[in-house]
Amino acid sequence: MFSLNEELRGEIKHINDTLLNKYREVLSMDKKLLRKFINNYIGKIKKLEKMTTRELKKYVELGGILGVDGSKNRLGGAYPHFIEIYQGLARSTLHKDKPVFKTKIYTPLQLEESSNMLEDSREEKMRSDKNLADIEVEAALEGIRSFNPYAVIMDGSIIRYDIASKEKWMELKSECEERGIILVGVTKDIKTCIIGQKLKEEKIISIGHKFHDRELLYGTLDYGEAVFIDIETKKELAGIESTFLRSSLSPTVIAVDILESQKAHLEEMVRLIFTLTPKNGRGVPLWIDIVDSEVKIPDNMIRSLLESYLDRRLLEMLFISERDKRTI
Amino acid sequence: MKVVGITSQQEVYVATKDRNFRINEFLIIEDSYQGDLIGEVVEANAYNKYIPMNLHGELADSAVLESLRAIGYDIEEDTIYIAKVRLLNEALYPVEAGSDVRIPAFHEVRDLMVRCSPEEGLVLGVIRNTDHMAETMDEEYKNLLYTFEDGRLERQKEIPYIFNIKTMHQYPHIGIFGGSGSGKSFGLRVILEELMNLNIPTVVLDPHYEMDFSQTADYLPGEERLDYAGKFKCLQVGTHVGVKFEDLSVQDLKNLLDASGALTDAMNNVVDILYKKRDSYTSFFNRLKMLAEAQEEGSVDKIRRRIEESKTDLERQGWQERLELYLNYDKSCPYSSVRGIIWRLNRLSNEGIFSKDIREIENGLHNGKLIVVQGSTRILQVFSTYLINNLYHKRREYKDAQYRNEASDYFPPFVVVTDEAHNFAPKAFECPSKAILKEISQEGRKYGVFLILATQRPTLLDETITAQLNTKFIFRTVRSSDIATIKEETDITMEEARRLPYLRTGDVFISESALGRTIFARIRAAHTSSPHTENPFDELKGKFEENENKFMDLIRDKLPINGDDFLNVIREIEKEAGITYTLDTFEEKLEDMVEKGFLIKKKTPFFNVYDEK
Repeated sequence: MFSLNEELRGEIKHINDTLLNKYREVLSMDKKLLRKFINNYIGKIKKLEKMTTRELKKYVELGGILGVDGSKNRLGGAYPHFIEIYQGLARSTLHKDKPVFKTKIYTPLQLEESSNMLEDSREEKMRSDKNLADIEVEAALEGIRSFNPYAVIMDGSIIRYDIASKEKWMELKSECEERGIILVGVTKDIKTCIIGQKLKEEKIISIGHKFHDRELLYGTLDYGEAVFIDIETKKELAGIESTFLRSSLSPTVIAVDILESQKAHLEEMVRLIFTLTPKNGRGVPLWIDIVDSEVKIPDNMIRSLLESYLDRRLLEMLFISERDKRTI
Repeated sequence: MKVVGITSQQEVYVATKDRNFRINEFLIIEDSYQGDLIGEVVEANAYNKYIPMNLHGELADSAVLESLRAIGYDIEEDTIYIAKVRLLNEALYPVEAGSDVRIPAFHEVRDLMVRCSPEEGLVLGVIRNTDHMAETMDEEYKNLLYTFEDGRLERQKEIPYIFNIKTMHQYPHIGIFGGSGSGKSFGLRVILEELMNLNIPTVVLDPHYEMDFSQTADYLPGEERLDYAGKFKCLQVGTHVGVKFEDLSVQDLKNLLDASGALTDAMNNVVDILYKKRDSYTSFFNRLKMLAEAQEEGSVDKIRRRIEESKTDLERQGWQERLELYLNYDKSCPYSSVRGIIWRLNRLSNEGIFSKDIREIENGLHNGKLIVVQGSTRILQVFSTYLINNLYHKRREYKDAQYRNEASDYFPPFVVVTDEAHNFAPKAFECPSKAILKEISQEGRKYGVFLILATQRPTLLDETITAQLNTKFIFRTVRSSDIATIKEETDITMEEARRLPYLRTGDVFISESALGRTIFARIRAAHTSSPHTENPFDELKGKFEENENKFMDLIRDKLPINGDDFLNVIREIEKEAGITYTLDTFEEKLEDMVEKGFLIKKKTPFFNVYDEK
């Protein structure tokens, strides 16, 4: 049997105490008070109705909904001995037999000369983010060109594309704006601090830390409620409007982003996403989950692909780390 | 359709998005190296990765699925159908994964499905899940029969199952297993109908009095009804057929007596001693009786006195004979045993067994008829022993004589059929009919004598016999011990055995040694119906209604009937119809009619008035 490390147990207890201490304010915060604050200072909390079948049927005539997601697989060890495979998928609810796949493979070894063997990991992370964002935007672009959908739902906040893949994102954005295709992003893990920031600024509720929106909104909104943010945020500066939505019975909230120029469609899109989310699920629209599961490639499939098409010696020499060979 | 996953030489998985698989469906796998391989679906599954079986509540609810459908995406279209396919013949190498799979055309599977023409074989039903292939079927196999599907009569849509009776020469004997209500007796009826169509001489032992073929089924369209009236004969033991006492061997006689009531060793001995060759019933019976009477006298002296006291010659002669018997047999035949034999012999005689013979059965067989022998299980056990022994040896003598190039009377090959076969050849104990059935099961093939044994308890059937049944029809079976026996005795697979308790009535697995595999079939609609099909509860209802109508007819013209006038009415009825009622029963009847709503009762201060409603 495993022998329990006493020290480890102590450490975990300690962490628990620290966290309890830090979040006491959040945990004990009055829900009503917080909701009032959000209503007054952030944006209106609105109870949404699900769309009727008739409303939904309209989208079939208007071109359907395009779901876009990307995936990344990584095989190998430390820099530069690894290979990354990116795949983007755009799938229309109407043309389900014609998914648009985009793929890209990246390995640092492919470059002519690596400038620095101790490559900065932050730069590496940026490159990886860019690759993934690029491939998703490319898939979305081809998707809207071939299917002319009514709306595009991207997996993740759309500000991510603005940061990681500026050029292509601009192309997508302007094409959508020109052709009147609504572009929204759905974020499962929200990382913003909009409410926390405002709380600290307004000092209405005394609070010690700048808490994340995810922490503050946990359990604060009721099923089907959304906060349409009215105040200036960082996102808004980039031309993006946001909304928080509790889309399922699970207490976490998701965020829905839309281009500022298409703000008029925000509530409609939030309602659509709410309608497409299973009541007992994690809060993610089923369509996005379906696209997500389609785009993901199992690691062992990647491995067998590489084993089939890469020279065996190269593969062993470059991409198989010692860790991969470990058997116990 | 494509082969997916890990394959072997015997089994592969086939997947498709387009159509669902059915169990027992045939598929052709186009292996690029080994050519076309034929397989049968043994397990069918459907799977949708977006609708997982999840215990943690993350299940797409129907509202969301409906919404998705509204915007154009139908999640059910992502369902994958997977079938486990077992190859009919083992391949040389594992099947190539990714091979294309298709539905075969009829000509590709003809040899597997039908192996003789409908005129030459027994057309027993349809092979299940073959409708795709049946479309390209030759005309001669189409429109042969009807089946019942969910209580409705349907034209044949699938490939017919035709049992090639000629294979019985190499693979003799048929077993029919299945619990009550599984369609076993019905299947037996269809087999017998087909035997009659081919004019095959057949003897049926029918303890249930149900194998009567005189009622044509009214559900079939008029022009397709078949009349079997001239092809079969129902004979009852004791009434139409019996045992010719003179033909009995000592052993036969002992078996008969044993069936009448178990014989003790002493009684066996009595028969051995007292029975003389060529005895008639009367001579044997008299001998027993006189010995008993002599023994009742008690001693030689007393019998001698009887002789002296005799008034007539006849009487004297009689006592003389008794004395002789007494002197010869008293020591070896105890009185009680002699009485026991007399009692048993009497019982058999009262059942009429000795007053008839089996000539009618023999004639019927010579004419290619189906002879149904009816009687209680007990009497049939004995009679069948005698009958089958007799017929089998006649056939055997003919064949043996033919072999020795000697002249002998012709006796045709024949089939012996019995329901509740475990009563005639039980596993655990000895029973007279078992020996002959066992002999036929082992040697009958050589002489052209075949068995068709039906039973609901294959576990109770003698194992030597079970092992000789080369074709088995297995209907729904629920008892686990019987399923275990069936698994042991046939080549049905684990998957098929698991389905046994859930088979629909009339669906059957047919395991043929001649074929080396199991066919899943459905028995056709019979041309005739069993005399026992009327529901007893309907019968009761009908009977009551008949009585009520009769009573109403009697009193209709006498209504209204006043309570003080019963006597006159009763008298009138007696005069008209000859039926007498007492005052009480008449009133009771009227009350009954009121209760059932045929009459109404009006109360007046003096008496009740019964009137029509």
